[in-house]
Amino acid sequence: MNYAEPPVADILEFIAQDGCTDEQFDRLALRLFAYQYGANAAYRGFCQRRGATLRTVKTWSDIPPVPIDAFKAMELRCEAPSPAERVFMTSGTTRADTRGRHFHPRLDVYDLSMTRNFARRFMQGAERLPMGILFPDEIAMPNSSLAHYLALAKSGFGAAGSRYFMSPQGIDLDGLWQALEQAERQGEPYALLGASYGFVHVIDAMRRQGRSFRLPPGSRILDTGGYKGQSRELPLDDFYSSLSELLGVPRALCINMYGMTELSTQFYDDGNAVVPSVKSGPHWIRSRLVDPATGRTVPAGERGILAHCDLGNFNSVSTILTEDVGQPAEGGFLLLGRAGGAQAKGCSLAVEEFIRSAAS
Amino acid sequence: MNTRRVEAGYLPGLAAAEVQWQALSFERDGERLEVAVPVLSAPQMEALAARVRRASAQHLKTMTVSEIIAVIDRAVGRLLDRDDPYRRRADALLPFVSGYDAEMVRLGLTGLLKTFRAPQLHRFVAEDFPNPKVLDGFQPAAKGGAVRAYGPGLLAHTWAGNVPALALWSLVCGLLVKAGSIGKVPSAEPLFAGWFARLLAEAHPPLADCLAVVWWRGAGGDEADALYAQADAVVAYGGNEALQAIQRRLPVTTRFLAHGHKLGFGVVSAAALDAVNAPAVARRAAWDVMRYDQQGCYSPHMFYVQRGGAVAPREFAGYLAGELANLQRRYPRRALDLEESAALAKWRQSIEWKAAGAGDALLGDPGAAWTVVYADAPQELAPTATQRSIVVAAIGSLDEVAAAVAGRALAGRASFLQTAGVAAAPEELYRLAEQLGAAGVTRISALGAMSVPEAGWHHDGRFNLLDLVRMTEIEQSAEAAAEPYAPYEP
Repeated sequence: MNYAEPPVADILEFIAQDGCTDEQFDRLALRLFAYQYGANAAYRGFCQRRGATLRTVKTWSDIPPVPIDAFKAMELRCEAPSPAERVFMTSGTTRADTRGRHFHPRLDVYDLSMTRNFARRFMQGAERLPMGILFPDEIAMPNSSLAHYLALAKSGFGAAGSRYFMSPQGIDLDGLWQALEQAERQGEPYALLGASYGFVHVIDAMRRQGRSFRLPPGSRILDTGGYKGQSRELPLDDFYSSLSELLGVPRALCINMYGMTELSTQFYDDGNAVVPSVKSGPHWIRSRLVDPATGRTVPAGERGILAHCDLGNFNSVSTILTEDVGQPAEGGFLLLGRAGGAQAKGCSLAVEEFIRSAAS
Repeated sequence: MNTRRVEAGYLPGLAAAEVQWQALSFERDGERLEVAVPVLSAPQMEALAARVRRASAQHLKTMTVSEIIAVIDRAVGRLLDRDDPYRRRADALLPFVSGYDAEMVRLGLTGLLKTFRAPQLHRFVAEDFPNPKVLDGFQPAAKGGAVRAYGPGLLAHTWAGNVPALALWSLVCGLLVKAGSIGKVPSAEPLFAGWFARLLAEAHPPLADCLAVVWWRGAGGDEADALYAQADAVVAYGGNEALQAIQRRLPVTTRFLAHGHKLGFGVVSAAALDAVNAPAVARRAAWDVMRYDQQGCYSPHMFYVQRGGAVAPREFAGYLAGELANLQRRYPRRALDLEESAALAKWRQSIEWKAAGAGDALLGDPGAAWTVVYADAPQELAPTATQRSIVVAAIGSLDEVAAAVAGRALAGRASFLQTAGVAAAPEELYRLAEQLGAAGVTRISALGAMSVPEAGWHHDGRFNLLDLVRMTEIEQSAEAAAEPYAPYEP
């Protein structure tokens, strides 16, 4: 088998097919592992220190997950840099100088992964919907994977009249009210997509101005990313009941997307009638819950840190270790939030506190 | 699941039924311990504070320091007796709530208690008061006149939960200056302070109302404010943010003694690195890392090891790793929860990605319960992830250490320094001590003794007892002016 080239054609074909067997997933995962193990010396060293080699890795869950911090510490890539590549960066919430970078020499895999999955989980059979997007566009944020994701949503699934409501000055609330009123008048389903914190601002503005809308049946909402200190924190239950109450969209059609700059594939829930909702991904990504110290899968039923094996990640590493705590659930997993790092219990100084004090 | 229930806290004058109780749950190996901690209302706290203040004025302030020391000595003596019911409870329950290895806790507790026997307590007092009798009555002052020291009427404590029995330090300090005490136990170790209060009351029944041990959630609400409003002085342990939050709630006249988070380190001179000494030095250094899994303020995070000895710094790191592996068999690290494990893995992996090159090395399997990082180049002092993770950094000369620990941001860093463990020749020790002291270090110990401060140490460079008291002076003028009014004067 040829391990010197990324198996991009196979990945595209794999994503395009309907589902897969465990064996099929393993076959492609191992092929991709072999390629990345060969092409990325730093990753090879990481694997070898964990006793993982081409011989010992026999199934996708044997592939050592790379912590997302590694995307900050180094250029995690197999192909040499090229002028045409796209670089997605993490938002760098803690230290501005260290942002994780994900290099995409080509975007066809990312785009196919996004559109296939989005069509099924968000559009749910609808071809196109008029969309309002509460996030900056790709020109304003060329390094944001979410900006690219939303641009794909708009171009691939947005009906005429779809538009962005985010400008450098903030959210164009008047424009948004007009669009929502128009949707109400015309009786056509409308889709509102954006970052969770954007919705919090909208909720606050609606409450302040005493506005509410009854969007037509079939309207839906997609939020993603949590709040990241950009707005006040809202308990999940309040967040979705506010959205539902103020926009007239049932909570079952308030869909949350869980994605990461370090991945090429997203997870969705089937609405948020109940929170926390069960998240799941398409057949080309698999997840397990691990003990972060050893990277081993935790005993069945226990909480663990989420590790994802994303066959769409052909140039970086297929398998990453997140900092998100998950719990197994029927058909997927529950996202319990971030492992915030252990709180120092006493006199010994915590790393975070020290960094803060040293920076101030 | 097998569940045990115990009550924590100590509330003189309040019946159990009068207060609310909160259950704190601890689980280990399929067993559960529920510790009920008392939650007081603000009026209850106020009444308790008044009671403790009154009782200590009556019973504690009227004892001599030597009498108080004798009482503490009896209580500590019982805790040192392995068959005493209190000690048996401590040996059984402190490992359970803290998660630390039982044998480690037993050794640590005995080591701590040994420094609180009568001779050590007398020394403790003498450290701060050249004439300890100033605590009992007016004593002649060198400048003339007379002087007497008064402890606070009511001392409030808030303790941290990192090291079992931490409360002993400030409780004993309060007793030695005859202060009534009300302490707030941490949720992570809610037990020891209440036991000690009971033991004291048993050792000397009039003390029964001179101490109280309470609990509140987080930073506390009205009940905490009620205590803070009444206290003459407050001793608090914790992170700077938590300490600042307490300080903001205190009346400006209340004395506030804060013990914030600290960062320890060790220094090994080439003189200590011959083939005979190096393994022993590494063994002692490993003990300091192992004790309470580096959760103490005195715990080391880095060892600066000098090149040029028969044993190179890289080899020393290897010895240290070997000793930590040995200690893991004797005193295994406590089981980490998911968040702790994630934080440790994050730190380890950040090193791993950085270390891919140079002469640096990461010793220990990802799954091992300890980590030694070897850094071949100079390293600024920085916290590790604790839980037995340590950095060995090579240095050319001992003179480099002070700059490395002071860091670039000279101002902020000094306040984080406390203990330095040193293995060096006498001349080197004193030269280094001058430099480290100037950088902010307040305690220099031998390696292996970092985690067992000696009796009478000046915690964080301050006077544990002297900082608690106020002095009253009779000036010479008053003495001289009184003379003519004496009945025997013509």
